[in-house]
Amino acid sequence: MKQNTFSYKVKQYLMFAGPGTILFLAAVGVPFIYGLYLTLTSWDGISATKAFVGFQNFAAAMKDTAYWQAMGRTVIYSVFAVVLINIVAFALAYLVTSGVKGQNFFRAGFFVPNLIGGIVLGYVWKFVFNRAFVAIGSAISSGTAPSLLSTPNGAMFCLILVSVWQYAGYMMLIYVAGFMSVSKDVKEAAMIDGCTSAQAMRNVTIPLMRSSFVQCIFLSITRCFVVYDVNLSLTNGEPFGSSVMAAMHVYNQAFTYKNYGLGQAEALILFIVCAIVGVTQVMVGKKGEVEA
Amino acid sequence: MKRTLAIVLALVMVFALAACGSNGSSGEGSSASSGDGTAITIFNSKMEIQSQMEEMAEEYSAATGVDVEVYYSNDTVAAHMSTRYASNEPYTIAMVDAKDIYSLGPDHAIDLSDQDWVKDTTQAIAIDGKVLGFPVCVEARGLLYNGDAIKAATGKDFDPSTIKTTADLKALIEEIVAGGMELPVGIQKEDWSLGAHYLAEVYELQQDPDAFIAGIKDGSIKLADDPVFNALMDTFDVLKEYNYAKDAPISAEREVTEMKLAEGDLCFKFGGNWDWSNMVETNYTENLGMMPVPSDLGDYNEMLVGGGSKYFFIDNSVSAEQQQAAKDFLNWLVYDEAGQDFLVNKCALVPAFSNITLPVSDPLGASVKAFADAGKLVGNYNYLPDDHYAKVGASFQKYLAGQVDRAGFADEITAYWATAEVGAH
Repeated sequence: MKQNTFSYKVKQYLMFAGPGTILFLAAVGVPFIYGLYLTLTSWDGISATKAFVGFQNFAAAMKDTAYWQAMGRTVIYSVFAVVLINIVAFALAYLVTSGVKGQNFFRAGFFVPNLIGGIVLGYVWKFVFNRAFVAIGSAISSGTAPSLLSTPNGAMFCLILVSVWQYAGYMMLIYVAGFMSVSKDVKEAAMIDGCTSAQAMRNVTIPLMRSSFVQCIFLSITRCFVVYDVNLSLTNGEPFGSSVMAAMHVYNQAFTYKNYGLGQAEALILFIVCAIVGVTQVMVGKKGEVEA
Repeated sequence: MKRTLAIVLALVMVFALAACGSNGSSGEGSSASSGDGTAITIFNSKMEIQSQMEEMAEEYSAATGVDVEVYYSNDTVAAHMSTRYASNEPYTIAMVDAKDIYSLGPDHAIDLSDQDWVKDTTQAIAIDGKVLGFPVCVEARGLLYNGDAIKAATGKDFDPSTIKTTADLKALIEEIVAGGMELPVGIQKEDWSLGAHYLAEVYELQQDPDAFIAGIKDGSIKLADDPVFNALMDTFDVLKEYNYAKDAPISAEREVTEMKLAEGDLCFKFGGNWDWSNMVETNYTENLGMMPVPSDLGDYNEMLVGGGSKYFFIDNSVSAEQQQAAKDFLNWLVYDEAGQDFLVNKCALVPAFSNITLPVSDPLGASVKAFADAGKLVGNYNYLPDDHYAKVGASFQKYLAGQVDRAGFADEITAYWATAEVGAH
């Protein structure tokens, strides 16, 4: 049998990638296209008819100030969270590859928060912020100390803190892999050439780990932009609706306020924003990548 | 040959996966029971009574020969119903919220006007003269009190009927404070409690809520000058002043507040008889109950606000036999001893039917039943927009936290109504 005929290639594809393709189409492709169609309707989520309204939902999404406020909030949250996640993750990775005693134990320990689902994690931290910290605060000062979660800035701080705690361990693993992939030889050569270990880190190790940074920043940006579970269980948008992130606003718009079409349109805008930011970052990051 | 076999195998695996997927997606619990004759399905949307419903289905099937299957879904009611109608698999009887009767009823529900139970309830939902919704239970809002805690502080037996006006409430609270409990009030910060329960009374206690909201929308009524709004906010200010969490009202947690009230660390909390499901878990004291929110609003300070909560409707696309079996089931709930026992004792609900005289076991429910039987229940306004509680509730939270004054709060509510529309009814 010839191996370069079209039918041979199709068969090979179907055999190896067919199941995956079909599942992908069923779980991602079809709903996405159906979702695109729904952005053009005024469907409320229940009624049997889906009235076609053209691009009205997009116009309404542009005018939805609460949505853009949520989006702005998400950007602020993402900037802080992404920077902190990566700094902490890098520091942890450095720590657990530097040969400290019990480093495998620490690796596992730092990774554990990531194994707890976002919902559970949110409730656990809510308890910590609302009860534990308040109890400690009240014991130190006289009177009841207010919970951090009860002020808009405090709630945002809590969200960022919990996200950093959740994702830093995961990103740490990628950085650990990055550290391990830098061969000892080049570092040693740099040291022999007179580098201090800080200089070797800055000029040799980090440039060689660039792909780890690109990956980690991409992952943390995309995750932070669509944060929902921690947002739901930790603050649920409170106080005064000041911690509603974009994804939560979209969910509420579609399911709670029953504007399915509008919610879908806003979700699409969120997706596009997220994709543009993510892809730009990867392109910029990839450009300067060096090979050892 | 081998290659063809491999392809066939690959395809088989795909279908096997696809089949798994379709099985996995129907994640609702169901309890089937055997029996010959007609089969009906019931959708239950009260999670806390699912096991009782399943038991009841078995007993009912055994007694009547009608095969009953009970389903539950943790999806929101409207979303779940929409998927069932989209796949053309309606339930014979579905338990939904009042607002869903208005959205689904006209298209999907049969007319129940000729049923006997219609005369025994004031809570059925009728649309265009047709009774479509059967009230499953009554829930009402008011001021929850702990009579034992009040007695401990004041040394006198507490009679809720003596507290009618805001001044009465303030005087009593001052007496309690003098008796040693410094901050005897709990306020829930949840947006649904503030927005959908407390603030909603501003609409519900109007002579004509529809006209009132229309007036706010067109500017002919100034909310800040409205007597009902001001009377309720005056009372709220008193509650707020003595809120045990007044330093950090937004961090108060519902469960903690309920526990403090039940165990006598607080005397008052605005809420409803659903609070009992949490309070029953605590070391609650004997003398608990519910009273109307005191205010300077004449008759209304002697009435709770509430009504039917959760409604059954019977689908119009199922067979005539099934419709008849479903009607029989509803009659069984209201008129059969076993049905009444199921509602009141097994599920601990407050029945919406005046012929059911079984005593309600929980103290809050007993208060609601007493007010309902005496006709002292102001009806729910079921047509508020779906985002009302969240948006206005957020403004109310700001008021509770002292970030906005009453005039500013009234402005935010008015601004909300500038773009919002009440539901069709």
